[in-house]
Amino acid sequence: MSSVNNPYMPYPVRIANIVVDSPDKSLRTFKFEFLDPEDEKRFEYLPGQFAELSIPGEGEIPIGIASSPTEKGYVLFTVNRVGQVSSFLHNMKIGDIMGVRGPLGHPYPVHSLKGQNIVVIASGFAVTTLRATVAWLLHPDNRPNYGRITFVYGARSPGHLLFREDWEAWQKRDDIDVYVAIYKMVPGWTGKVGFVPAVLQEICPPAENTAAIICGPPIAIKTTQPVLFEAGYKPENIIMSLENRMKCGLGICGRCNVGPEYVCKDGPVFTLAQLNELPPEY
Amino acid sequence: MPEYLVKESSLASFFQALTQGRRLLAPQGQGDNCHLEVSTGPVSLDYANTHLSPKAVFFPQTEKLLAFHKLADKPKPHQYQDLGDKAEPTVIFGIRPCDAKGLSISNKVFQNDRFTDPYWKGKYEKTLKIGLACLSPSPQCFCAAMGGSPFGEVGLDVLAYPKDKGLGLRTLSPAGEELIESTSAEKADLASEIQDLAKKAIEAQGPLDAYQAIDASKLMDLYQAKHWANTAEPCLGCGVCTFFCPTCHCFDLQDEANDLGGVRMRNWDTCMSQLFTAHGSGHNPRPSKVERVRQRFMHKLKYIPIKQDGVRGCTGCGRCVVMCPANIDIRSVAATMAQASA
Repeated sequence: MSSVNNPYMPYPVRIANIVVDSPDKSLRTFKFEFLDPEDEKRFEYLPGQFAELSIPGEGEIPIGIASSPTEKGYVLFTVNRVGQVSSFLHNMKIGDIMGVRGPLGHPYPVHSLKGQNIVVIASGFAVTTLRATVAWLLHPDNRPNYGRITFVYGARSPGHLLFREDWEAWQKRDDIDVYVAIYKMVPGWTGKVGFVPAVLQEICPPAENTAAIICGPPIAIKTTQPVLFEAGYKPENIIMSLENRMKCGLGICGRCNVGPEYVCKDGPVFTLAQLNELPPEY
Repeated sequence: MPEYLVKESSLASFFQALTQGRRLLAPQGQGDNCHLEVSTGPVSLDYANTHLSPKAVFFPQTEKLLAFHKLADKPKPHQYQDLGDKAEPTVIFGIRPCDAKGLSISNKVFQNDRFTDPYWKGKYEKTLKIGLACLSPSPQCFCAAMGGSPFGEVGLDVLAYPKDKGLGLRTLSPAGEELIESTSAEKADLASEIQDLAKKAIEAQGPLDAYQAIDASKLMDLYQAKHWANTAEPCLGCGVCTFFCPTCHCFDLQDEANDLGGVRMRNWDTCMSQLFTAHGSGHNPRPSKVERVRQRFMHKLKYIPIKQDGVRGCTGCGRCVVMCPANIDIRSVAATMAQASA
């Protein structure tokens, strides 16, 4: 019954906590605990991977993993309420049983980026897998393997900024530069104001020996690229994560392809250099 | 691998031997009514091809994968249980080489570089495939133009052909060899006859491997060519091409449930549908039929070859050409693609 033999089988999990993340309640972060502790070991993942949240009777949704594998005992997913499954999930309660199927996709190439500086650029609630990435990079086992780490994060309003505890703690550290921005000034805000590309332009670390990891809505990704180009970043060093409609997550059901590549199986992480050779069907 | 002969007088016992310990599926009926059905043999060889491709034997149009219940007083509520692959030992007699090649292409999708689909694998690996070579092609056939052959051996355990009201056979795998050894078939040297018949059948078909310009073209050149709006113009988006195609493997996963429990099932799906790629947000990466028609032909003629060592995702069975209500013909689309990128 392990998903080692059947990749369609979700691991049973219990909803251990639910955090309402945004003032309009469109975002909630779910903390899941595996019913069988052995399943947590089988669910071996790295930042940037995703999983299918599987609700018996409702269906599945592919969601990026917001926790880092360095955080033991649980997995985190932030879910935007858009369709049937996500709406149902938003109405589930702590203690309810459902499934998590994965991990799926390829992670950000954290291992091959060893020795480099990394700038992590997040817009909106796409911050989730980047929150996982920064948490992983800052873990004492991993931090010494990387150079300068920069985290740029923007959202509509202070209420739309996720994982406040995390980035506030990171702001106090001296081994990461953290820039958090909202798009429009509101009273009481002391951080940066502006869209992510504008903030990035101000503080962009030099391109030399540096990789940029970007995640956000298409418009944010599109407008961030020129800033990176101007700073000298090459398409091979700009790493992005795509999303497309998915079902199986295994490269079989056919709908998430971008040219010959399946976002689920061959992505969701691609370099800009790879995407430049592919149809823009995402 | 060796060749064998089944004389007319031994046909009944040959087919009887095939059914020992397994079910035999063979084409029955004629024309639009020719379907793979459970048989005890002997099998009439007088058919062009089955109306549907054999993919449903391995990938049923609808298939229950998992089940769950919601009863709090019973063990494991709200937890999916695997319903298994439900495979039974099977031998298919009479698969045409185009369809066998199609299955082998889908097999590389269902058992890809990272994941194995257990529901496909169970059925695929428990099924012996005896092909029936095509001595004379039907008007709809173009396997040779797509790089196949009326005597193609890909994806088969045994290749058969009609011979003196009996059968000539060539075994192509150890399992196929073992199967034929268990029958009354007698060893015979048919190599040169097979070679001659194959040559004649290929020559009867018209152009060979006609679309090499597509192989040589860059993906983005093919994708950005100007003809796609014209090419897609007649398409009604009905998806019949994907339904009949032996290599179309796309599916949807859906849960069906009531208050007590339910199942997770998969159903054939089609890239010709607008909903197929629609995001929850409303964004759609393939919003119109131009993108969707382009996807179908690019997938068959460029994406699959990139992923499968140059093997095209179209095997030339001709079903989509016959069935398309708007007369879209993959041969002319391929020719347009080849020309536009040349």
